Amino acid sequence: MTCVELQESLAEVEDGTTPEQRAHLRTCPACSALVNDLNVIVAAAGGLQEADEPSPRVWNSIEIALRREGLIRPQRTTGSLAHTLFTGWTGRWLVSAAAMLLVAAGVLIHDRMQTNTVSERTAFSTPIPNPSDLNDNDLMQEIAVNAPTMRAAYEANLQQVNESIRDAQAMVNESPNDEDARRSLLDAYHQKSLLFELAMDRSLP
Amino acid sequence: MLIPGMLGKRYNINYLSRIPMVAAGKGDLTEPVDHPKSTEPIDAEVIARAQRGDAEAFRLLYEKHKRRVYSLCLRMTANTAEAEDLAQEAFLQLYRKIGTFRGESAFSTWLHRLSVNVVLMHLRKKSLPVVSLEETTQSGEDESAKRDFGADDVALAGSVDRLQLQRAVDSLPPGYRMIFVLHDVEGYEHNEIAKIAGCSVGNSKSQLHKARMKLRDLLKMNRAEKAGKSRAG
Repeated sequence: MTCVELQESLAEVEDGTTPEQRAHLRTCPACSALVNDLNVIVAAAGGLQEADEPSPRVWNSIEIALRREGLIRPQRTTGSLAHTLFTGWTGRWLVSAAAMLLVAAGVLIHDRMQTNTVSERTAFSTPIPNPSDLNDNDLMQEIAVNAPTMRAAYEANLQQVNESIRDAQAMVNESPNDEDARRSLLDAYHQKSLLFELAMDRSLP
Repeated sequence: MLIPGMLGKRYNINYLSRIPMVAAGKGDLTEPVDHPKSTEPIDAEVIARAQRGDAEAFRLLYEKHKRRVYSLCLRMTANTAEAEDLAQEAFLQLYRKIGTFRGESAFSTWLHRLSVNVVLMHLRKKSLPVVSLEETTQSGEDESAKRDFGADDVALAGSVDRLQLQRAVDSLPPGYRMIFVLHDVEGYEHNEIAKIAGCSVGNSKSQLHKARMKLRDLLKMNRAEKAGKSRAG
């Protein structure tokens, strides 16, 4: 058996254990080193199986998608009612209110999408709550208390969604009859309300 | 840190719901089947809770399996963003189908098969060759492997650094990478890989061997570079 033949035979018998392979390996240090190296690689490969950790945003996205698709259903526990009522109730109320306000803003936009015409260009200039002021601080406080490890992810997402709202609003202001722009604005508000919903769920007992 | 596919894409928040579902067909291995490596039992109660839509159970399942699923996606794509999107899609498919899981086979087997399927479908959509004979016969990989013989061998000295191996795997051609990851990292047999990738068993064996030879080349080159630098330093 030549070196080339040995190499070709390794595809079928990987560990060099046929009599022909063994005979060649006994007399050929280069091929012997090759088989050793391949064994080293195979042994190390198993270490790659769980080598990497996904960033927190992966679970964040999964959770949002699960809620959106209705796969997660509320599982309320029978915890202390007093605790529920008196621990952080203000924050929860504010967050809930903010979410409702966001939904209302979205509905307002949606209604206008149904009725607005070219002649009503000015109608869309009705002021919509500034998303940056919409109890974002309360949301972040709520997250800090109930899901501190997710704070950075929420903060980044909140910033991003606020930018989306601002951009979409600018597009709507520029082209009030642009269906895509209005839909984008509605979607952006919906997105923000999802974030608030997530925050509320995290605060459940 | 952005929610991929959602907040990261302006005006496209329905992206998640528009991620195409993996179609059944060739390579669709989402049906539970036995696998020798997936023997780790999972708490049946957690699965039952997830089947009832319990958010915490979903999270527990994710925590338990996230590293393996994500690592698989990352090894196969060599791209962090793609790997995260694929891991996300794999778990979403898992949760959508979890109601049909009846525990006839290991849960982890089911999930990992599903994950492999998600990645393969992704690669096919990108028109990347899952397995390509041409890749090996036309790109001179054979020559690369054979010319190694008789060369001044820097042996791998009995161990390979995990990060170095990771980098070397990432730089393999996609076809080699897939077979190597499925066989040597994930523990699939050649007949299973042939079924998954739609190739012959012989092709799978050949690709794996060439992948290992290529890895050896890469690792040795890396060592030689390091040795040269330390000598120069």
